Amino acid sequence: MKLDPAFIAEAFVKLLAAIPTTLEITFVSIGCGLILGIVTALARIYRVPVLRELSSAYVTFIRGTPMLTHLLIVMFGLPIAIDALSEALGISFRSVQVPMIGFAYVAFSITAGAYMSEVVRSGLLAVSRGQIEAAYAVGMTTWQALRRIVFPQAFAAALPNLSNSTIGMLHGSTLAFTASVVEINAKAQIVASTNWKFFESYIAAALIFWGLTIVIERLTALLEKRVARYDKGGVA
Amino acid sequence: MGASVDISYVYDYFVKLLPAIWITLEIVVFSLLIGSAVGMLIALPRLYRVPVLQRLSQVYVSFFRGTPLLIQLFLIYYGLPEMLKTLHIDVSRTPVLVFVIAAYALHSGAFISEAIRAAVGSVDRGQVEAGYAIGMTGYQAFRRIVLPQAVAVAMPVFGNLIIANLKDTSLAFSLGIMELTGKAQTLPTISQRFFESYLALALLYFMLSFVLQRLLYRLERRLLRHETADGESASTARSRRARRKDASGRLNLTEEGALR
Repeated sequence: MKLDPAFIAEAFVKLLAAIPTTLEITFVSIGCGLILGIVTALARIYRVPVLRELSSAYVTFIRGTPMLTHLLIVMFGLPIAIDALSEALGISFRSVQVPMIGFAYVAFSITAGAYMSEVVRSGLLAVSRGQIEAAYAVGMTTWQALRRIVFPQAFAAALPNLSNSTIGMLHGSTLAFTASVVEINAKAQIVASTNWKFFESYIAAALIFWGLTIVIERLTALLEKRVARYDKGGVA
Repeated sequence: MGASVDISYVYDYFVKLLPAIWITLEIVVFSLLIGSAVGMLIALPRLYRVPVLQRLSQVYVSFFRGTPLLIQLFLIYYGLPEMLKTLHIDVSRTPVLVFVIAAYALHSGAFISEAIRAAVGSVDRGQVEAGYAIGMTGYQAFRRIVLPQAVAVAMPVFGNLIIANLKDTSLAFSLGIMELTGKAQTLPTISQRFFESYLALALLYFMLSFVLQRLLYRLERRLLRHETADGESASTARSRRARRKDASGRLNLTEEGALR
């Protein structure tokens, strides 16, 4: 068996069709994760009594276990919960009706939420206390101070980590094949086994992921230049 | 499948999973040892700016950090035998575990090389110059002055890599290795209690990474002893360095460990 360069190109074209699914999983989990992350980060920063302990436990547990176990637990645990709930409420809805990609969305959002919580927290803590005090001094309300002063600076500080987490979730989306979702990795397996050319189709998959990663890195670099404008020092 | 959850199974599976810890740890230890050597090898051309090799190691790091580990596992599993066949080396009888460790080693090598680069870069140039000034050779200055300081700075990043590596071993099952995740997926085939099994699995991973984190934290404290001597706390010293790095305007990609 020899390496067949022509087939790499062929597989590459076939895999392009799976890019939207991969990106969907990535951005849904990053989006929901960001919301979850902001809530848990704020609960920890403002030391909200019970929520704070819950958030810490959530972040520690999720960061201490592999992403695959989150997916497996959601895939096998959520149906039990849904069926028990709808039986108790007398609804005819059953877990079989939930599409498999839904479980991937839920599981990866939970994963992303814990990592996002740390990203958001470190971003917010990077803004010095004097900034918010100065905002109060000129008469802003807490919300105004957060929105106009803290968040823009925190976003700039958190951007590199945010980009890393996005790349991490992009790479993590390959696990969705466990939930029989056909994203790039699953598509590569299908293309590989139907043509019996494993090496070539995984090369194509690797190239696509490499490209996507570089695009995310480039976009972040551009965005970073834009949001870090205030931080250049000097007089002009 | 019964709708209820039976907690007694969680305990039962937890105990049954325990022996599989060794395979998981075997992958972690060997891949990190080999990965450290690979990382050093990859970092050196960039640290000393060796013309062509510098470019090559840049591409290596970019590739292994820019593609998912799962894809790398398959690439090496299917690709390495092919490539070695052209060199007339037959590896068809080599156990799968070797390929898995090779994949993890190459993967973590890329991350370790970045950690080494950042750490060496964070040691003040004046330190090396002071070493030369009192008559040390290049190697002596590196080993006695730069290395101890660089190791201390790299420790937190390296610790994250170790834990990330532990969590990544859960992917080895896709090539049929019976480590923790593989065991947890096959144990409940008779009872069909998959949820309980995965719960036990998650608990076990959590305990492993928790213990590991504690140990690494202690080690880190110990290595940073010299930092606290001159009145500056270790954390401020590190954040000062981090800030200096940020000022260059480049993305500092090594800060956050890989998540998967």
